[in-house]
Amino acid sequence: MLYFITKRILQSILTVFGVVTVAFFLVRLSGDPSLLLLSADATQEDIAAIRDAMGLNRPIWVQYLEFIGNALQGDFGNSIRQNSPAMSLVLERVPATLELALTSFAVGIGLALILGTIMRITRKVWLREAIMWIALARQAFPVFSFGLLMILVFSVGLGWLPSLGRGSWQHLVLPALTLGSYELALYLRLFNASLATEQRQDYVRTAYAKGQGRLQVIFQHMLPNALLPIVTVAGINLGLLLGGAVVTETVFSWPGVGRLIVQSVSQRDFPVIIAGVFLLSLIFVVINLIVDLLYSVLDPRVRF
Amino acid sequence: MLSRLSFSGYFALLMLVLTLLFIFGVTMLPSYDPYGQNLAAGLLPPGGSSFDGRYYLLGTDQLGRDMLSRLALAGQVSFAIGAGAVMVSLVIGVTLGLIAGYFRGPVEMVIMGLADLQLSIPRILLLIVMAAILGPSPWMLAVILGITSWVAYGRVARGMALSLREREFVLAARAQGSTATWNIRKHLLPNVLPQMMIVGSYEFGQIVVMEASLSYLGLGVQPPLPSWGMMVSEGQTYLELAPYLAVLPSIALFVLVASLQFLSQAFTSENDSVDLPERIKG
Repeated sequence: MLYFITKRILQSILTVFGVVTVAFFLVRLSGDPSLLLLSADATQEDIAAIRDAMGLNRPIWVQYLEFIGNALQGDFGNSIRQNSPAMSLVLERVPATLELALTSFAVGIGLALILGTIMRITRKVWLREAIMWIALARQAFPVFSFGLLMILVFSVGLGWLPSLGRGSWQHLVLPALTLGSYELALYLRLFNASLATEQRQDYVRTAYAKGQGRLQVIFQHMLPNALLPIVTVAGINLGLLLGGAVVTETVFSWPGVGRLIVQSVSQRDFPVIIAGVFLLSLIFVVINLIVDLLYSVLDPRVRF
Repeated sequence: MLSRLSFSGYFALLMLVLTLLFIFGVTMLPSYDPYGQNLAAGLLPPGGSSFDGRYYLLGTDQLGRDMLSRLALAGQVSFAIGAGAVMVSLVIGVTLGLIAGYFRGPVEMVIMGLADLQLSIPRILLLIVMAAILGPSPWMLAVILGITSWVAYGRVARGMALSLREREFVLAARAQGSTATWNIRKHLLPNVLPQMMIVGSYEFGQIVVMEASLSYLGLGVQPPLPSWGMMVSEGQTYLELAPYLAVLPSIALFVLVASLQFLSQAFTSENDSVDLPERIKG
């Protein structure tokens, strides 16, 4: 167990380290960072001066080590467009992204739970089929076009919900539904499979034998057990929600890290891009680590 | 492979063929013109005619360009980028996977470690960084989409190579003194290719979505070349005035991705031996 934990933690550190390294070299590949700071009519002397000031004349590995050293202290340099540290710009946006990702996570599990239970309880085949087809169809829509259709129906058409920005809970409904429903088909299939497995267990037979009704057996005994695999997969996918959040935030003008990264790309503000990607990867890796470690707590049968 | 497809498999295949017919067929229409602007006919709804008497089956965009032609050309762009990216990732994935599975030892550790590393970062982040820095030309897009999606092929190829390398025909070849390159090319590769095609059909849909997402964010295909993702993004501005601008490319994307998705599902259920990675997308 201790070996497993140590190995996973080392692996996580290596991943984050790898992300930063790749980002550093890609940025250097893209050209001279000093040119971004200068106007088009700068002289050779100006370029030399600013290259000197930025330390770009030193060997690349010295620059790399210094970059890593600063990054370890949370210093990713200043934003090129706004005169403040890149990391603090990113940190400002983290609460919005976490709010969106966690709500979507809950919406996804909630939808799967409700629809999955309906599929189990109902005796109408067409209803079961219809739910599965809707979930599969949802999956074929990219996040952005589904989000746009939601805006079209609920904001433009019906006028029930706001389409842009962050503030009240109404602002959260459409983005969370868009992002949370993406994995619905996967969750439903998992939920169905695990409910089918649980149905064959002895404790279910015992519950029926002592005279409990069908609904009571499902809700009281089977659901808690059947939920476990979904929670695990959803936990792993929480990180993927962060990736999907990048697009969702842009669709709904949600002021999160993802939107900041996309905006910084169009402004070629590399320190902010690197700081943002670093932070999202860090959150992603930490969540995966926690889910892995929690696995044994949620299901005591798992041994490492 | 095609002879025993299920009903939904045939339906998906039909949809895919129809989509392709649309994408490539519209080019042959006499009215095909994806770039020509007609300021007398801006934001015409589907089925509208302009003042100068031209008929637009799917309407026009804000610059009076024919939506039908643009949708078709955008589809060709998406399809070409997707096919290119699948090729790139297939070549990288199969090569690395077979090398890892055939040689084992430290080589395998490094390659599979790289795969794990790549899986532990959301793919879209990697794509955004690469697209931002390397610049978004269609060729570059196909290459970076390919580089970031080799893992699915690599894992399946390695798994198969692990068992193939112990089979008699490979052992016999080795006993006769054949080189590793020869064994991998002549004995392992032909045996994994069919499964790689199946992984490819699954990944194709994923890559089309990725490309569309990047283009939606403005990091993918650049104007004047159209792309479905970019058309949705442009249409978002006119959502109240002309909702069809965003809806039409969304439907096109949906049909293509859904048909690819169901087709790969039909292939997979025919070939239970393939262990499709359930969660290899971004």
